[in-house]
Formats: sequence, structure tokens, C-alpha cells
Amino acid sequence: MSNFAMLFRGFSVVFTFQNIAVCLLGAILGLIVGAMPGIGSLAGVALLLPLTYKFNPTTAIILLGSLYYSNMYGGSFSAILLNIPGDSPAVMTMLDGYPMAKKKKRPGQALFTANLASFVGGTIGMIILTFLGPGLANVGLHFGPQDMTALLLVAMTSIGWLVGKNPTQGVILTMLGILLACIGMDPQTGSPRYNFGNMYLMGGIPFVPFVIGTVGFSQVLRLMSEREDKVDEKQMVTQKLTIRGSMLTGHDVKRLLPPAIRSGVLGTFVGVLPGAGATTGAFLGYAMNKAFKSEEPFGTGAIEGIASCEAANNAAAAGAFAPLLALGIPGSGTGAVLLGGLMMWGLNPGPLLFTNNPDFAWGLIASLFLANILTLMISIGVIPFLIKILTVPVKVIIPIVLVICMVGSYANTYSMYGVVVMIIAGLVSYICEKSGYSTAPMLLSFVLAPLLENNMRKAFITSQGSVGIFFTSPISCAFMVILFAIVLTPVVRGIIASTKKKKEA
Amino acid sequence: MKKVFLFVLIAALMMPLFANGDGEAAGSSAAFTPTKDITWYCTSKPGGGSDIYTRAISDAAVANGWLSKAPLINYKTDGAGEVGRNEVANTKQNADYTLLTFNSGDLMPMVANTPNRIKNFTPIAIMATDKQLLFINPEKAKYKTFAEALKAAQNGTQVVIAGSKGDDLELYGMLIKELGLKENQIAYITNDSTADAITSGLGGHVDLVMSKPAAASEYVKAGMLVPVLALSTSRFAGALSEAPTLKEVDSKYNDVELPVWRGIVGPAGMSEAAAKFYSDLAKKVSESKEWIEGYIQKNSLESSFMDYKEAKAYMEKYEADYLKKIGK
Repeated sequence: MSNFAMLFRGFSVVFTFQNIAVCLLGAILGLIVGAMPGIGSLAGVALLLPLTYKFNPTTAIILLGSLYYSNMYGGSFSAILLNIPGDSPAVMTMLDGYPMAKKKKRPGQALFTANLASFVGGTIGMIILTFLGPGLANVGLHFGPQDMTALLLVAMTSIGWLVGKNPTQGVILTMLGILLACIGMDPQTGSPRYNFGNMYLMGGIPFVPFVIGTVGFSQVLRLMSEREDKVDEKQMVTQKLTIRGSMLTGHDVKRLLPPAIRSGVLGTFVGVLPGAGATTGAFLGYAMNKAFKSEEPFGTGAIEGIASCEAANNAAAAGAFAPLLALGIPGSGTGAVLLGGLMMWGLNPGPLLFTNNPDFAWGLIASLFLANILTLMISIGVIPFLIKILTVPVKVIIPIVLVICMVGSYANTYSMYGVVVMIIAGLVSYICEKSGYSTAPMLLSFVLAPLLENNMRKAFITSQGSVGIFFTSPISCAFMVILFAIVLTPVVRGIIASTKKKKEA
Repeated sequence: MKKVFLFVLIAALMMPLFANGDGEAAGSSAAFTPTKDITWYCTSKPGGGSDIYTRAISDAAVANGWLSKAPLINYKTDGAGEVGRNEVANTKQNADYTLLTFNSGDLMPMVANTPNRIKNFTPIAIMATDKQLLFINPEKAKYKTFAEALKAAQNGTQVVIAGSKGDDLELYGMLIKELGLKENQIAYITNDSTADAITSGLGGHVDLVMSKPAAASEYVKAGMLVPVLALSTSRFAGALSEAPTLKEVDSKYNDVELPVWRGIVGPAGMSEAAAKFYSDLAKKVSESKEWIEGYIQKNSLESSFMDYKEAKAYMEKYEADYLKKIGK
């Protein structure tokens, strides 16, 4: 139980006035940064990092760590209220959060659910991090390219849940997502592909502007075209603008706990894997929980839907610290910036960090617990103010959201390239949605395809082209079995059903 | 009334459109001293060799008071760094406050894949030369020495090396050419950064990891990576001295090395005064205690300073030689 003792030592480091103040500051900033579409934890941490140059390393990492973590809370705010994800992990929150706010007229409850689920997921992630941290990081190392490929193939099947009523259209959009993800540099040979000779396209299509465009900008276009319906605005605010009015009933809480706990465990694990971050965690959490029963179907405003992805993205953020602290390997882009920060403060991230700087490492982990509680309190406290956003007339919301989207896209690429991508993606997505295609499969495949390609090619190089590598490694073999089960079950069921029919006929 | 107010509000909000940021500071003929924030572009991910190098220079400069404020480091890894390099090359405004970490490993893909050339930049300095080693994971490696790995490859078992892109990939090509082996006998997996290559090595998914000393030093100290081949004409110092060079492994081979020079450049639009300032700054850094002890020795590099005029001649020759080699 020495980890527990170390954790208490960490708490003693955290409970100084300076560190608590900084934790609070990081939590608030993270909420703001997370709520703004396009500006996510990466931008927030990267912007604050130079300011922390002179700080004591422990204080600095507490600030940045709590910002990174509370960013996952903030992302759900704009997703639920405006149907625009604050950052990429919040994309799935949007699918159930916005319908719950708009159609079911329970925005306060939606926000409360998101916050509570984030808290549960994050706590689970941190408990696992505390007790299994270094071991977990080692497990992450065991995932070689063939294991990641198998895992990602299983994840790709989860797109099947998202295609909705018309599978053909869903598949078309999935393929489009994969094709768009191929634009850029070939990861193994470094030669450009599909870039039409354009320097910018050589870098590929940047993810954040693409998401903002597909979801945010098209939402703006939709709002603009539907402005004739003024009836909605008045009806929205029938709910009381108090915290008590937004509280969940006991029954609601009981509904959200199982998916949150399941997603929490899955999310932590996904966060530990190399290359997979909070976004992948949220996708997988949502997809996994779709397989379980829920009172309302996913996608119509189900509490379970919100809970599953919010818990997963917080857990993944916590899990991402495991490889960072234990091995000095950044699990995501934000982790990489944090790593740079560690070196800037004179620490040596690597396997010896826990041994050489225990106060730092355990101080950070303890501060995450604190950040979790602080962020929960703050985000519940601001719910009434957030709901007020819904009372703002649409004609004011449209330009504000548009500006935020543009700023976010620009900030992501430091050039108008991001804005151009956003606009084009938005137009295409708007046309798709109007024609009855849902763009969610395209987003999911766009995120997963590069990871899948990279790992698949590395696996094939190692195996010299043989497919056997997927079955000789125990982890990947297990995933391949799951994959076949998922793919073949409907086919088998279909055959059994039709044979039964033939017998009866 | 409302309409007038609205009109005034819109006009006021449009004001910033006409307030162009100021470009060159006035009086650029005098000696240059930075009055604004310096933006330093780094086209590789944080945690890798280029990042460590950039921070080492900036830290030494600030610690000794030669720069009043640390430069803002901007990681632009899009397009494998080409977008960042292109942006710096085309920077007109603020050219005097823009720097770019530029290594030979950046130059090679740049001239191979894009029309960008050294003439679009103002070379400022070359600070150090870096070389690579091959490492194994002592717990999981199938081959404990390079000789074993080589024998296995010659006998038909594939050996896999993981490394970063750019110069590591080029060095791999030179290595298999010297060994007389083909790509499928010793295979190479390209990663975005050395950190990813080391991760796959630690996980036991590859047989060897190619890395420069800086990125691997912490893992060597922890005993998680052991150097087995020095890609250089002489052994490295310190903890890396146990790795033999290729000639020591088998005397029928010549040593293989591809020294990576690490430099600093600015946009072509940078003024002569600014280039001289940064070049002098780099020279002071290269002689400072922080640089020599904290970076060069710690990471087993060779300090080899060239100022802006020498660096320009060197980089242009390197580019010309490389272009001839790839047939452009």
C-alpha cells in the first residue's frame, strides 16, 4: 500500500495556499478554454506554458494539469447548449446532450449529468492511476502495432452503431472520412500524397478545424436557415434557472452511474495507450455503452449517452498521465506540451521521475483529485448562468458562434488554412445533413483512420507482409476474435432467422 | 437613433481591420536589439532532439541575460514540418523576430519534397553536430549485441529498426548499403519522432532503436535502453562508451555515420543587423557553461560553432551535394 502513503504525501504537497490557488485557477481557466469551440487543452496549455517558466515545478504542473483535466468538463458546455463541441472529446457529448437540452427541455439536467459523469469517470481514472500507475504504463507499452491495429478495427465496427437508418449512406461517409484522412504525408516513406501540389494539404487536413466546420459551422448554417421558427425561443426557458431546478432525480442518478463507471474504466485504459487520447476514449466509451440497455435510445437525449462519453473523456485525461509520469512518453498532443514543460522546469521526464522527484509526481496526482472536486463544484455552480445562454436570441448567437469558430480554427493552424478547412467542411456537412446523411461516421473514421493506417503498416513491416502477426500476439488475437464475433453475429443471426422462416413456410 | 448607434458601433468594430500591425522597426540600419517577442519555430514534436536543443539555447541565453525574455517556441509539425519551414521562409513582417531550428534532417526532406531551398532563409549559425546510436531493450531484445543482430539478418531472420524520419531514415539507407543487405533483411519503421521510436523499443516490438543521445539519455540512465552500435567514426563518451563502432564489430566494414548538424536560420527577409545579432548571441551561448555542460556534454554531442557567414556557405554546399545525390 505504499502508493497510498505516497498519495498522502502528495496531498501534503498540494495543500499549501499557493498550490490550492493555482489549482483553482487552472480549473477555472480549463472550463473557459474547454467551453470555447476550437480552443482546447492543447492551446490552453501551450499558451500558459511560457508564463510558468519561473514557477516552482510542482506549482506549475498543478496549474497545467488541472487546466488539462477541467478542459474535459468545459467541452461539454458548448456541446450541450449550442450543439458545437468545445473540443474534440466533446463531439460525442453533443449527440445526446443537445437533444436533451433542446427537445426534452432539460438543459440543466443535461449539464448536471455531464458534470457528475465527468466527476465519476475522472475519479475512477485517478484511483486506477494512483494504484496502478507505473504498471499501467507498462501495459500500454505492451501494445504493439499489431495490437493497436486489432483494437482500432474493433473500434471501427462501432461506427456501425452510428450509421443510423441508412447503412449505405453511413458507409459512404465513413469511406469519405478515411479518404480525407489519407491526404498528407505517407507516414512511413515521408512522401506527400493527395496534396495536389499544395503545401498546406501536404500537412493533411487538420482535425480541429475539420470538426468545428463539420459540426459547428454547419450548425450555424442550419440556424441561419431555420430562423423563421421563432416559437422555440420562448418555450425553451420554461425551466427554472436555479441549481435546484437543474438537479437530477435519484432515478436519473441511478441511470447514469453504470455507464459512467464502465466508461471510466475503459477510458482510463484508452488514455494509457500510446497515440489514443481523450477523443478516442470518448468515442469508444459511447460505442461500448450503446450495447447495453438504456431507458431512452441513444441519440435522442439519453442520460446514459451523455454519461458514457463524458466519463470516458475525463478518465482518459487522467489515464494519459500514467505514461507521461512513469515513462516520460506523452500519450497525446497536450501530453507532449506538458513534457516540454517538465524539461523547461529542469526536471528529467523519464522512467526515473517517480524515484527522483516523488513530491512532484505525487503532488500532481493528488492535485488532480483536488481539481476534480473543485471543477465539479464550480461547474455545477455556473449551470444557471449557462442556461441563460439559451435565452439569447438566435440572431445574436449566430455571429458570436461564427466568430468563435473562426478564431478557434485559425488558432489551430496559425493561418487562414484552418478557417478555409472549417468553411468547406461546414458547407459539405450542411449539404450532407440536409440530404439526410449523418456526418458522425465521417468524424469517427477521420479520427481512427490515421492511427489504424500507421499501426497496420508498422505491423506489416514487422511481419514482412504476413497476416499471422495479428494472431500470434495474445492481445491482438483476443481483439481479432472479438472483431469476428461482432462482424459475424448479425450474419449468423440472419442465417438462423431465414432458415427458421424456410422451415415454417 | 438606434440605426445611428448601430452604424457607429459597426464602424468602431471595423477599426481594427485598418490597424495593420507594425512591420519593421524604424531605423534598421543601426545595430539590432530585440524590442519585441521573438518567435522560435520548431518543426518537431516536443520531447525530441530538436526541442531539447531549442530550449537549451533559449535557456542559456535567458539565464545569462543576453535575452531579456525567453522566445516563444512555436511547434509547427504540420506537413512533416514543411508548412512551418515554408511559413518562416515567407515571413516578411516580423522577419527580424522569427527564428527556426533547422537541422540537416530538416533540409533533406525539404529539398526532396518541396521547392523550398536554403536561399529562402538567412542562415544564422550552426551550433553542434549530433550523431546516432542503435539501442536495444535489455529485457526484451532478441539480440544482445549488434553482431548477433547482423548475423541473424544475414541468415534470413528479419531484424527491425525503429527510428525517426528525416536523417535517421537516410542513415538507415547508408547502413544497409555498407552492410550489403536489402531492406527486407533489416527493415526500418519510420516514426514521427524519436520518442515514438523509443516507445516501441521499450515495448519490445522492434529489435533495435535508432536515436540520438539526447532523446535516449534518461532511458540509458534507468537501464531501460542499452547502446549496441555507435554510428560514428569513434566511440561516444560517458554512459554510451560501451557501444562499438561498425568497424570494431567487424573490420571488413567501414564506419557509417551521418553527422546531423543543428543550426538556426531566419527568414530570407531578415535584416543583416538582426542576423549578426543572433549569430553573436549564438556564439556567446556556444561558449557558455550552461550550453557546454548542460547540453553538449550531457547529450554527448560535438560542439562545432559556425557563425552566420560560415553557416551560409556550409548549408549551401550541403544542399548542393544532397541535391546532386538525389538527382535533382
